[in-house]
Amino acid sequence: MTLTKVYDAATVFKHLNGIINVYKPAGMKVKHVRNAILSNICKGLNELKQREPRKLPNDMRLLGSGAATDTVLHKIAANSDLSDHILASGPRYLPGDIRCAPVGTLGDHTSGVLLFGLNKGLQQSSLIQRNRPVRIYHVTARMGTATENHLPDSRVTVRANHRHLTPERISGLASSMQASHQRKMYELCGVDLQTQAAYELACKGLLRPADNSQPVIYGIKLIHFNRPHFTLELHTINENEQYMAALIHDMAIELRTVAHCSQLRCIRHAHFDVTESLLRHGWHLPGIMKNLRLQQNVLKAHPQLLDQQRVDLHAAQ
Amino acid sequence: MKFLATLSAVAMLCTWVRNITKVSKTTKCYQFSDQIRYIRALKRVQSDLIVPVEQSNVAHHDNPVEKKLTEQNEKQSAVAFDFGSREAHVPTFNLAAHVNNSTTLQQLLSLGVDLHSIERRKGLGQYVLRLDFEENVKPYLTFLADQGISPDSFGKMITKNPLIFKADLDDLQTRIDYMKSKRFSVEALQRIFTKNPYWLMFSTKRIDRRLGYFQKEFYLSGHDLRLLATKEPRLITYNMEHIRKSVFTLREEMGFSNKELQSLIVHTPRLMMIPPDDLVERFSYVHNDMGLSHAQIIQCPELLASREFRLRERHEFLKLLGRAQYDPQKDLYISPSEIVRGNNFYFVRNVAKSDLETFDLFLKTR
Repeated sequence: MTLTKVYDAATVFKHLNGIINVYKPAGMKVKHVRNAILSNICKGLNELKQREPRKLPNDMRLLGSGAATDTVLHKIAANSDLSDHILASGPRYLPGDIRCAPVGTLGDHTSGVLLFGLNKGLQQSSLIQRNRPVRIYHVTARMGTATENHLPDSRVTVRANHRHLTPERISGLASSMQASHQRKMYELCGVDLQTQAAYELACKGLLRPADNSQPVIYGIKLIHFNRPHFTLELHTINENEQYMAALIHDMAIELRTVAHCSQLRCIRHAHFDVTESLLRHGWHLPGIMKNLRLQQNVLKAHPQLLDQQRVDLHAAQ
Repeated sequence: MKFLATLSAVAMLCTWVRNITKVSKTTKCYQFSDQIRYIRALKRVQSDLIVPVEQSNVAHHDNPVEKKLTEQNEKQSAVAFDFGSREAHVPTFNLAAHVNNSTTLQQLLSLGVDLHSIERRKGLGQYVLRLDFEENVKPYLTFLADQGISPDSFGKMITKNPLIFKADLDDLQTRIDYMKSKRFSVEALQRIFTKNPYWLMFSTKRIDRRLGYFQKEFYLSGHDLRLLATKEPRLITYNMEHIRKSVFTLREEMGFSNKELQSLIVHTPRLMMIPPDDLVERFSYVHNDMGLSHAQIIQCPELLASREFRLRERHEFLKLLGRAQYDPQKDLYISPSEIVRGNNFYFVRNVAKSDLETFDLFLKTR
């Protein structure tokens, strides 16, 4: 594919379709990210070459006094419709002109991959969301203190000792939780784990929940331990910030200590990786256009993102 | 029979007018109909001079509006604007609808006034439409040009404050004289009026009170006060309640002494216009996490003018590289003012001496 330089706002707008992968900073709402991106796109578009004001219809009568200084006469000579001038009618592109919707959402304290569908990409974004792809998180917990909502910015409620904790004990608990979550899914499907039916179900791929109400965990793994912090990798569907924070809290209780979540980071959403996501200083029109192209390649390489045989977590008939 | 026909025609006209008033009541958009009626009234005077008496009588008696329009279409000679088939009662959505017909708006447009942003503010659209360029606008422009303000900035000034055409020219002259009596230089005045077009709207009494407040509050000398006002002219006409809050935050919550406060606000007056909550957040990060003392913050007040996430990103990156060393007595000193200067690329290359990929990777771990 050859790339050409474009200076024309209309051309850029015509190609502003698809999915973008944005790195959402922690402490910023999804709504604010969306507004920032849309206003930056509009700023970029309005700085490009705009279309000329419309021409007046040819049958306009000649008005004015006819003197050389009469501006009305000059205007008619130029034959441009001043009501279509940028200063009169306002900027050509406004944030409301661009359709934009997030694929899934992230909580306020979560940072990481956030997908947005732009204009015609809205369809793709809803397809991706309907297929319920797995999201992968790195959740960092801080041992020793529990807070009111299990997140770092609220009041500390309990302190506890965590000297007895070792990485082995945490990973032991993590793997047992993972096993019980997996077993639960098959049980919800109504098949016994030791049967041919369960095997065939597993062959079809990941068991997904039918709707977006129930959080499901597919994998928990300890990836980093550095007292008083440890980091877990979570593979989940339908999760939310509160659920993951509560999970950390419950795990810590199980380990005879207390903990709260100090950082939540989404590193992958389906095949959209954090390495390709757009950082805050790249939220400008050229960066967004480039990102659109990159994500288009991802979608091309993995067509199942948009269209796939789904194995839902349905109750047995 | 004929009588009946006229009667029905009158009845139709009445329902038509009623419908239009209903529409104009229900629609939420701007109603410029008053203005148009006003302009049309002017026009009628002119056209009445031309139209013979009997004709005008007829026009007034049956179906006045349509007749009038056709007449005007025939006799366009003396009138600069034309409403075409647009009816006076139809409300218009924005000022752009009138641009092709009004010389004043065209003149404003050629000055670079952004009519779109004017009409978004309440009541200003109506006001601008009522202006006459020769009468209401030109004297003010010549006045401003006499003060040495470059015509290039007229557009921005009028966009920000179109109400300047309401002020009395003598008052404006008095205000300028007052400023000159306070020994503001001509260049300073130019900067003040272009940066803050609202300044001229404030009475001398009010400006004097405000300048007095700043002088007393921070023990400023005349020179420093002029510097402050010239550096950030918007500060003087800013919301006083907000400024009092900021001063309280700076003095009581952050604990700057009077002397420190003085140098802080003369150097960066913009700090007083930042929401106090943000200011405290930034200060607490700079003071507690980066460990800079009050004296060091005074040295580079730009730190407090930079958003908190920006400070956090850069400081933590430096910390990761082991370069976060803000003590000038020791080796590898990094000046705090360098941290907030320039874009990320400048920072990464010249301050952190690293590369943008590393910085991006670092940001993606947070």
